[in-house]
Amino acid sequence: MTGAATSTPAPVLDVRGLGVRYGGVQALDDLSFTVAPGEVVGLIGPNGAGKTTCIDALTGFTTPSGGRIRFAGRSLDGVPPHERARRGFVRTFQSLELFDDLTVRENLLVAAAPPTWRSTLTDALRLKPRADAAVDEALDLVGLASMAERHPIELPNGQRHLVALARALVPGPALVLLDEPAAGLDPTETATLGHLLRRLPARGTSVLLVDHDMGLVMGACDRVLVLDFGRLVASGPPAQVRNDPAVVAAYLGGAGEPSGARP
Amino acid sequence: MASLAIGLVLTWRTSGVVNFAHAAMGMYVAFAYFEFRDQGNLVLPIIGTPERIHLLDTPTLATALAFALVLSVALGLAVHTLVFRPLRRAPTVARVVASLGLYLYLQEITRLRFTQAGAASVTRFPVLPTHDVDLLGTSVTANRAILAVAVVALTVVLTVVFHTTRFGLATRAAAGNEKGALLTGISPDRVGALNWALASVLSGFAVILIEPIAGLDAGTTSLLVVPALAAALIGGLSSFAVTVAAGLGIGMVQSLILGYASRPDTRWIPDWLPVVGLQQAVPVVLVLLALVWRGDPLPTRSAIAERRLPASPTPRHVAAWAVALGGAGTAGFLLFEADLRQALIVSLIAALLSLSIVVLTGYVGQISLAQLAFAGVAGFTVIDVASRGWPFPVAAAFAVAVATGVGVLVGLPGRRVRGMVLAVATLAMAVAIESLVLANPSLSGGEAGRSAPRPSLFGLDVGITARGADNFRPAFGLMVLATVIVACVVVANLRRNRTGLRWLAVRANERAAAAAGIDVGRTKLGAFALSSALAGTAGVFLAYANSTLSTSSFLVIGALVALALTYLAGISSITGALVAGALAQAGLLTTVLDRSTDGQAGRYAYAVSGLALVVTAIVAPEGITGAARRLGGRVDRAVRRVGARGSRPGPARPLAVDPTPASPDGAA
Repeated sequence: MTGAATSTPAPVLDVRGLGVRYGGVQALDDLSFTVAPGEVVGLIGPNGAGKTTCIDALTGFTTPSGGRIRFAGRSLDGVPPHERARRGFVRTFQSLELFDDLTVRENLLVAAAPPTWRSTLTDALRLKPRADAAVDEALDLVGLASMAERHPIELPNGQRHLVALARALVPGPALVLLDEPAAGLDPTETATLGHLLRRLPARGTSVLLVDHDMGLVMGACDRVLVLDFGRLVASGPPAQVRNDPAVVAAYLGGAGEPSGARP
Repeated sequence: MASLAIGLVLTWRTSGVVNFAHAAMGMYVAFAYFEFRDQGNLVLPIIGTPERIHLLDTPTLATALAFALVLSVALGLAVHTLVFRPLRRAPTVARVVASLGLYLYLQEITRLRFTQAGAASVTRFPVLPTHDVDLLGTSVTANRAILAVAVVALTVVLTVVFHTTRFGLATRAAAGNEKGALLTGISPDRVGALNWALASVLSGFAVILIEPIAGLDAGTTSLLVVPALAAALIGGLSSFAVTVAAGLGIGMVQSLILGYASRPDTRWIPDWLPVVGLQQAVPVVLVLLALVWRGDPLPTRSAIAERRLPASPTPRHVAAWAVALGGAGTAGFLLFEADLRQALIVSLIAALLSLSIVVLTGYVGQISLAQLAFAGVAGFTVIDVASRGWPFPVAAAFAVAVATGVGVLVGLPGRRVRGMVLAVATLAMAVAIESLVLANPSLSGGEAGRSAPRPSLFGLDVGITARGADNFRPAFGLMVLATVIVACVVVANLRRNRTGLRWLAVRANERAAAAAGIDVGRTKLGAFALSSALAGTAGVFLAYANSTLSTSSFLVIGALVALALTYLAGISSITGALVAGALAQAGLLTTVLDRSTDGQAGRYAYAVSGLALVVTAIVAPEGITGAARRLGGRVDRAVRRVGARGSRPGPARPLAVDPTPASPDGAA
């Protein structure tokens, strides 16, 4: 839809041969894929397929045992998680991990531009808290401006998910990696989220979406990657992946039984 | 030592508690044992009970050992059921505070009931023979040899028991997953109780047996927990064998240092380096190496199951607070008599120290037991440079800068370790600073202490002393007051802005903070720097407030008390720091109490504050100010509910604003 990935010269994210090993278990094996600028890519797979491991390895929370990751043309080898976020590669958590001590606005402010020596000094002597335009913009985007002074625990689950998403968008990242953003959402909320995600490429943010919800992934993504047992078993446009026998086998657990291949 | 370390491993594996009071428990049992062996008396560690109960007229070794066994089992069970069992799911800080409270309580009650009560000399009946035996070609006293053999044997037995019996399996299961253990029919409670009893017995007998070698004293024996912790940490708080090997190793290295350094032909150790300090610093180095070796820059996915610290309210009306505090303080200094002015100064300095704890522990979640050591470094530095003729403001700024530097150094392991382990690391470093720097006669002037020259600020005399009723001059007090207000405003402003939000983010969840682009390690170091600067400022004022400053002002135990009081008052708010200042020893509250009770209140102050600490950690984890705020918030909400009923529609009604179960009196 947004232009073929292959024709774009410089991908935002370029993963080659990524592997992660926990003790004797190969949790992720020789994974390669790219995300082009303006692309919304889905990553799906059954439980235990290695989705969370993949996210942790990409964002620096797990050390890969092999392969390389390039983001915006630079290698991410040995780059700590916070530095990846500052370079514009931001993730969310399946468990949201909102800061419950802080209000919604403050949750977003945490992710805003880091304080410098000078801003810290002036902050120390100001009598009014500082405002931040990027925070207001992100709140508007997800439609939570009216909830800014609430605490996350006061919000219903759907809005908490939006807070987590807004926090990831505050620094204006080039790529946001969403870890099961629709977990626990009802169909209406999921649809809203899908629309929201489609609007991100226009703001300069590519999306790597990891989720169980087939409706969301198939509806919102340009391209879908399918993981099973730590390996990439299929990739392509949603319509093609949906009918891939390997995908069907992975999800239905059959040994290539064609009976599951209902459209 | 090794046996102490084993007990620590036991309680950690059972309750996830690094029991700082471990050696103190053994210390009490040992005192009780010797008293019984000598006099046949039972001495209870409970305030308000009769001090001595006479049990036997002619105690024998056998009855005395049986007595110690029963007593230590009872103590272990009591500590488990009354203190740590209720705290199983409490935040780490609450458990640390509870164990510190227990430490304080046991140490003070022992002082009150044994040492000060003139207990009998303890060495009359050594348990083990003391003649020399020949071991591997060197001559060793029999008791040492027996101890070493016994400890190794004990290790083998424990290791076997833990790996082969159902009890060992149950302990490991209960520590790993309490609910799961419960479902498979294991009672984590009973397992915990057994382990605590065992740990208590080990500690008690260890202290009894090493008494002829290491002596017995309420203060120093309790601090034996530090080298024991070093050994336990090297063993990863799980392996008995490694722990014991490390414990024996540390003990040997320490005695080697002592033996080597005291030989007259040893020249390479400079004179100014105290040998005792060197001996005590060894475990610290070992702890640090063990920590760096085992640490991880970010906690792993499963490690974040722990409950939060008390909620930290955003400071509001900062300017109004500053004016109110300034007004009240100024009025106090102008109207109070000398003794109350002194109490106010003490309280303000203590508030500054507590503020340093609020920043570091309350806001960033890093437990540091070295705050008083920072103050001590600054205090002696300022005296040193001021007596070389540096003008007061320059000397003070320099001293604070030095304290900040030391604080950053102490904070370095915080990049890789957190929670209990960080508390241990900072405790170890506080002991190192105390024994190498503060107890160093060339810096602190030894027993006599040192005095700072009279300070003056831009030609104004801001010294504290004056003749007679003019002593504790308001000029000094106002200077301290102004500093406290500026410090509070700065901390409040940082807390409200991005710096402080990042602090709270790190405190709440290091992984999420890193994902939001926060450099967790740097944020912690920054907090250590600010916190140690505040503590250093308190130290500078202490140096000028006391006519002579000696090492005893900065003993590690004082840091524990400071953390305890701050926690008690409310560790996550600036108000908490101010209240903690008011509660401090010789501060406003105790001075007023002392006046009205003729000094009786002071005698039990430490013991009671230890007890209060344990109780607060269990019942009111948010501290006094937190509890007050909750009450105020409830009233506030009730008023608002009545005033604005129905004006706020929509699905986003507060679901659980108040995490505590609401009591019926809330809707007034």
